[in-house]
Amino acid sequence: MKPAPFEYVRATSVNEALAALAAGNGEAKLLAGGQSLVPMMNFRLVDAPVFVDINGIAELAGIEATANGGLRIGALTRHYTLETSDAVRTRFPVLHEAMKHVAHLAIRNRGTIGGSLSHADPAAELPAMAVLLNAMIVTVSSSGGREIAAEDFFLAPLTTALEPDEIVLAIDFPGLPPGAGWGFEEFAQRRGDFAVAGAAAVVVMDGDRVTEARISLMGVHDTPLRASAGEQALIAGGIDAAAAAARREVEPMNDLHGSADYRRHLVEALTRRVLRAAIEMAAR
Amino acid sequence: MSAKISVAVTVNGTPHTADVEPRLLLADFLRENLDLTGTHVGCEHGICGACTILMNGDSVRSCLTFAVQADGAEIETVESLGDIDNLSQLQEAFREHHALQCGFCTPGMLMTVTDMLRKYPLATDDDIRDGLSGNLCRCTGYQNIVRAVRSAANKRDGK
Amino acid sequence: MTPPDDISLTRPQFIGARVVRREDPRLLTGAGNYVADIKRHGMVHIAFRRSDHAHALIKNIDTSAARAVPGVVAIYTGADIARLANPYQATSRMKNYQATYIPPIATEKVRYVGEAVVAVVAESRYVAEDALAHIVIDYEPLAVLVDPEESLKPGAPKLHDDLASNILAEREFSRGEVEDAFANAAETAGGRFHFTRTTPVTIEARASVAEYDRGARALTLHCTTQIPGIVRDKLSEVFDLPGPRIRVIAPDVGGGFGGKTSLYSEEIVVCAVARDLCKPVKWVSDRMEDLMTTGNAFDEIVDAEIAVAEDGTILGVKADVIGDIGAYSIYPWTAVIEPVQVVSFLPGPYRIENYSARVRAVATNKTLTGAYRGVGRPISVFVMDRLLDMVARKIGMDPAEIRRRNLVNDDEFPYKAASGLVWDKSAFQACLREAADGIGYEELRREQTAARADGRWVGIGVASYAELTGVGSRIAVAPGMPINTGTETCTIAIDSTGSVTASFGIASQGQGMETTLAQVVAEELGVKVDDVDIVLGDTSAVSHGTGTYASRGAVFGGGAGILAAKAVRDKIVRVAGHLLEAADEDIETGNGNVWVKGTDKSMSVRDLARALYSDMGRVPKEMRDEIDNLEATKVYDPFFGTTTSACHMCLIEIDPETYKVFIRRYIVVEDCGRVINPLIADGQAHGGVAQGIGVALMEEVIHDANGQVLTASLVDYVVPSAVEVPSMDVVHVDAELPNTIGGFRGLGEGGTIGAPACIANAISDALSPFGIEIMEIPATPERIFRLVEAAKG
Repeated sequence: MKPAPFEYVRATSVNEALAALAAGNGEAKLLAGGQSLVPMMNFRLVDAPVFVDINGIAELAGIEATANGGLRIGALTRHYTLETSDAVRTRFPVLHEAMKHVAHLAIRNRGTIGGSLSHADPAAELPAMAVLLNAMIVTVSSSGGREIAAEDFFLAPLTTALEPDEIVLAIDFPGLPPGAGWGFEEFAQRRGDFAVAGAAAVVVMDGDRVTEARISLMGVHDTPLRASAGEQALIAGGIDAAAAAARREVEPMNDLHGSADYRRHLVEALTRRVLRAAIEMAAR
Repeated sequence: MSAKISVAVTVNGTPHTADVEPRLLLADFLRENLDLTGTHVGCEHGICGACTILMNGDSVRSCLTFAVQADGAEIETVESLGDIDNLSQLQEAFREHHALQCGFCTPGMLMTVTDMLRKYPLATDDDIRDGLSGNLCRCTGYQNIVRAVRSAANKRDGK
Repeated sequence: MTPPDDISLTRPQFIGARVVRREDPRLLTGAGNYVADIKRHGMVHIAFRRSDHAHALIKNIDTSAARAVPGVVAIYTGADIARLANPYQATSRMKNYQATYIPPIATEKVRYVGEAVVAVVAESRYVAEDALAHIVIDYEPLAVLVDPEESLKPGAPKLHDDLASNILAEREFSRGEVEDAFANAAETAGGRFHFTRTTPVTIEARASVAEYDRGARALTLHCTTQIPGIVRDKLSEVFDLPGPRIRVIAPDVGGGFGGKTSLYSEEIVVCAVARDLCKPVKWVSDRMEDLMTTGNAFDEIVDAEIAVAEDGTILGVKADVIGDIGAYSIYPWTAVIEPVQVVSFLPGPYRIENYSARVRAVATNKTLTGAYRGVGRPISVFVMDRLLDMVARKIGMDPAEIRRRNLVNDDEFPYKAASGLVWDKSAFQACLREAADGIGYEELRREQTAARADGRWVGIGVASYAELTGVGSRIAVAPGMPINTGTETCTIAIDSTGSVTASFGIASQGQGMETTLAQVVAEELGVKVDDVDIVLGDTSAVSHGTGTYASRGAVFGGGAGILAAKAVRDKIVRVAGHLLEAADEDIETGNGNVWVKGTDKSMSVRDLARALYSDMGRVPKEMRDEIDNLEATKVYDPFFGTTTSACHMCLIEIDPETYKVFIRRYIVVEDCGRVINPLIADGQAHGGVAQGIGVALMEEVIHDANGQVLTASLVDYVVPSAVEVPSMDVVHVDAELPNTIGGFRGLGEGGTIGAPACIANAISDALSPFGIEIMEIPATPERIFRLVEAAKG
């Protein structure tokens, strides 16, 4: 399982990376942490004549506080950095929790948030967090810069809205309302595996009334999914109604790790759990 | 044949330079070019952990890193921990507790544990098991590895 | 020198001691020598183009573009290898057995996905893999058989045109009057049990390096094998090379568990190519190859039933077994080894007078079935112990109690089991009793009642089993197998520096035999453990040996080691008697010294060796003519072998929403005879149970309807990590020792034999309020979900 030959470009700036992608005529690929990409290269499932290594672009890593309790996270920020960041833990505790489930330490030392989002595995934690937290993905390409809303970013399994010559620069997470509660539950066969199904929720309450509900699901659909019907059902009908509605919204795959039926069952159970946890927290 | 790239890397304190194919995995560079065969290859897709080394102090899968990506880096492999006649404390703990049988997963286990001991408090044995979950072992059933790590963590904490 | 009698020498000094392992320093420091580490000047590398069809004729292979890839040295097809190596097959004297020739590289047809079709030899593995994509192969697909029940039907397409059918073996066992037993039964239970396909997954995948010395016409194969002697003997026939000119060396090997006990095609190919090119040749399996081609195991369908009297006494058991053994009959064990063991061990440690069983080993278009830890016994115990729990539930009896009533008692040994196996003696009842005590069985039942009231799904599992280990020449390890697996050789030599070397034909893959055998030899000789060097895994070290399998290392290695050590010690005593001027019976040995009992006349073994070998005239010619040297070779045949038994108990909890199974407590209580090194004995139990947990809860090799392997990566074939394996208690009962030399029993496979049954029983216990019985392994959350949905709906 040795990879096929490729030409290698080490980019030390965003411009260099853009130039290398342009020179590749749409066939060049970016190499960041490599934790999802290199296994596929070793299996020879992914092949490109040129790989552009962006690990040396220092300005792409880092966590900045933004207005109203938000964070701007550089695309090259390693998972381990997110895991241990006080800013992440205090501003987005649900993201902090999710990071603990991302693979294993050695993977987290190298893997990046930009890489994970670009790879777009529907069973991964970070794409689900991006849609949960209404993230904006900030990119640049030969045609200039743009911001893509997370809900528009993930198109299909392993497919995003990114153009071949587009680089993710950073991800903007808008701050959560104060007093928001959260919940996170992932079900995997083993610790650190991709989710067979996972749910995360953020809830804002006014007294004992839910005023804002967000439910994000992983591993049960073509992409990470905001269960909007579930969110509305929570406000209108309560936790059980929300869990049942979320179950109806997903179109899970049948694969070795779980059938579609089992995944639907998990959606309902895990959604219930995260909503209970989020509401309990928000009510305090 | 793709253009070779020059790489300068320090391995276990010794600087090396080489011209290598970009696709050469770091694991193979260490094993073949530098004759450091202590790092083992078990799966080449990042799951088993046998190939784990330290890169700039962080545990990393050498099967998922290209040698060219280690340019300018400090690499530590299992050979840096101790000698046959002078095992490190961690290696002694593994020996005392029979935390290895065939030894194939062991180098990766040791490098992961080295990083774990620096990064995590490991307050409970469940925490140790979580930390070890990225290194597969088929011989020991993990129980003795947990004991060895617990004993190393206690020494770290002055217990 | 202090008179040795003043040193309190308590015997045994080393047997039973927690000696830390001598292997560890090199393995811990990355100084191990594994096959993949071997480098030779001019070495070339092989990559295989493997079939992506499960069953097809090979119409044409075009390698011209591949040959042109820079760095490619040579390319071999099946026809090329057939010119370089004689054909071979695994034979058996068993009636109703059909052997299959196994082409090292496929010739006219391919019979499973992953079968090698072309070997590319190149300067590096990278280049060899590049060339693979340039090979063009025309296949004519044939009907694919992945269901053994389809494959055994008359008229099913044949995998092997020269055979009468796809049923490679068929056998029946019968004792007593089973139908009467069922007719008179107070209660029966049974159904279809399905134990699905597993693969061993050693962390070190298989690898071979072959070197051919053109001048000496001698071949050396470095190989990750558990059976160097068997491989050497077969290579001698395959290549028409006499034994001394073939050397097979198993250096440090990263786990075996039976997956490395077969002769593999790649081993023949590297040898053939090395001889042809006169270059050293290396092949290292990658993980995908490993998951597709290393011997699979446990693919058995068992229709079984049990009949009991009102008091829970077993009246009879019947079983019909279909073993799905893949595309060829593996060498040397044959396709028969696992399926026949399923039925021959099915009666287990229980008193069963009426038994009938049929087994058929059926070929399908899948990877070959080989030997994997426990072989047929994990399935036997799964079926028998599930039957016991199922019928116990029907008659309202506690599972531990039904076993108490049916386990053979101490006063019934030797006991001939219903399949004809003889249990010499083993502590069946004591293991059950101590497991119940150890886990606090009564208290656990009370806790279970309380937990159930709280809505928690808690279950308790029990499994008892017995196996034959260290089986000597009385019984072939695989039925009718003509290869002798009943003896092992040990040569002990003390040289003129006083160094002790003990050489064996067995090989180590992590069991610590460099340490345990040094303990045994040191104990017997009277030297220090550290002064004994153990040589393993090298066919040039002993005149004959086969290897490590069937839990035979301790019994055979220990027994042969003791015999050889006794013989050498006798010589030491004779020489010492002369040098110390005392009668032989007054000579004692210990700690590397010899002395006259009750006196301070002593010398070191080292000085004695020098006196014998190097000092002129110190030992008289007559004595030297008689004893020659301080060397002896002995062969040990335990003949019947001995029974090892154990009881496993566990406490599990199932998440009632996700159906994930958590193992909260696990205990193994085993009678494994005299324990040489408790560290190592416990480690074997831990590792065996961990593999049993994988088999019980998550491991499954899956082929689709076209025979494609869906589990070709470690993402899809799931083995337990440190989180999924609990801490477990291992207890060794104090029981009468067997009659093997040294009193050793084998213990390597036990954990894997008992764990699937124990866990399946616990899950069934947890789900008993739904009336669910676990009949299929692994009991994944998905399977439990389906069972619960069916029960609810």
